[in-house]
Amino acid sequence: MNQPAEASAPSVIELRYAQIGILQGRLRSLDTGALLDELTGRVATAPHFFQRTALSLDLDLLAEAPQAADVRAVMDAMRRVGMLTVGITEGASWVPELALSLSLPVLSRPARPAPPRAPVAASASPPPAQAARPATGLQHSRPVRSGQKVYARDRDLIVTAMVGAGAEVIADGCVHIYGVLRGRAMAGTRGDTTARVFCQEFRAELVAIAGVFRVFETLPPELAGHPVQAWLADDELHFARLGG
Amino acid sequence: MTEILVVTSGKGGVGKTTTSASLACGLALRGKKVAVIDFDVGLRNLDLIMGCERRVVYDFVNVIQGDCTLKQALIKDKRLESLYVLAASQTRDKDALSAEGVRKVLDELIAEGFDYILCDSPAGIEKGAHLAMYYADRAVVVVNPEVSSVRDSDRILGLLAAKTARAEKGDDKVQEYLLLTRYSPARVALGEMMSVEDVKEILGLDVIGVIPESTEVLSASNAGTPVILNEGSDVSQAYTDAVGRLLGEELPLRFTEEPKKGFFARIFGS
Repeated sequence: MNQPAEASAPSVIELRYAQIGILQGRLRSLDTGALLDELTGRVATAPHFFQRTALSLDLDLLAEAPQAADVRAVMDAMRRVGMLTVGITEGASWVPELALSLSLPVLSRPARPAPPRAPVAASASPPPAQAARPATGLQHSRPVRSGQKVYARDRDLIVTAMVGAGAEVIADGCVHIYGVLRGRAMAGTRGDTTARVFCQEFRAELVAIAGVFRVFETLPPELAGHPVQAWLADDELHFARLGG
Repeated sequence: MTEILVVTSGKGGVGKTTTSASLACGLALRGKKVAVIDFDVGLRNLDLIMGCERRVVYDFVNVIQGDCTLKQALIKDKRLESLYVLAASQTRDKDALSAEGVRKVLDELIAEGFDYILCDSPAGIEKGAHLAMYYADRAVVVVNPEVSSVRDSDRILGLLAAKTARAEKGDDKVQEYLLLTRYSPARVALGEMMSVEDVKEILGLDVIGVIPESTEVLSASNAGTPVILNEGSDVSQAYTDAVGRLLGEELPLRFTEEPKKGFFARIFGS
């Protein structure tokens, strides 16, 4: 090359932090057979949701430090259902060493929800919603159609039209839909477990709050077509009709 | 004032080209000067439906690339004085189209004083379909009363709201209409087919026409006659109504109920 040495060549790589959604997989066992049995059913109900999803393995629930080979087997199993393991979630003292032997990064644990303050009542009588968050919600008045995605960062999302099948409405706060929800609604995407999903006519494919999700292969008849709210209690999604 | 209309659907085989041909004829029958453009480069069909396939010398891509003038490429319809067809190229692919090229052709047509420009979109949501809808003022979304067609139409409606010149410039949105084709009231009554109401509810849009399922469509296509010209047939009347509604007339929907059997038919069977 005849270029003078001091010529500033364009840099080969640009590094910057990007915000990415990573699924957390909390394992209670390393039994790949049981894992596949459980996951294939779930994946079949929402194949696109899991397609090439980045996954971080949370191994803290395991009784003892796992062997690297066993974790590799789990990663293979995950890949078979479409999920790609990109790291190990921080936690027990053996995590850094295990991650090193697997050439995977240790990823920080998503903000843990505060432990429930009071015992949660039965799902028939949802606790009152939290006080309004400071920022005004993002308002969207056009129909959200199949293939479209609307995201409200750091606030609520208010949709005053329908959400079609295959459409996604996402908010870091609550999601309110004054119309039919046929697609997917995700609230509290950055870990806010007090976020909720409200809709006027419930026909959802998927509802998620703070990463806990439920896929509706068939709609529960007591919810289908009714005004519904969804909230999270004890790491579980609850659904109930609104306004009696 | 020229109005650009796109006939689109997402899904293939639902009747976009049949609809484009019939709406174009219907508007020309009302005395409007109409150009209908086939955007399905590589899978040219509109010329067949319009019965002018043997008169295609120059096509849309030729005009864009400057191989010929627009006047040379416009094919004048044999039946209707004010109707012109711009055929797609059969030997090229959709990459031969560009936004600037399409704009140039549309501007020339506007300068020629056309009242309506109909863009017959290819199936899919890729380049050809994108460019067909890009400059549209109004959109006719052709939908069959079945789930996959409805889902694809929903997708197309989303693109119309986001990926058109109007949406990008923040002008008024593209006015959207549904046109149901291959509608069979008998099968709706049996619960085998989605009803007009079902489709309207899912897509949240009004219906500009309901075209009954009919064997006439196929034979008209094969004969190269836009089916709206088969006067007296249900399909022709349904398309004529749709044209009227496009022009702002308020007409009740027809052919959405199962025809009542006449006295003799009831006695002697059908």
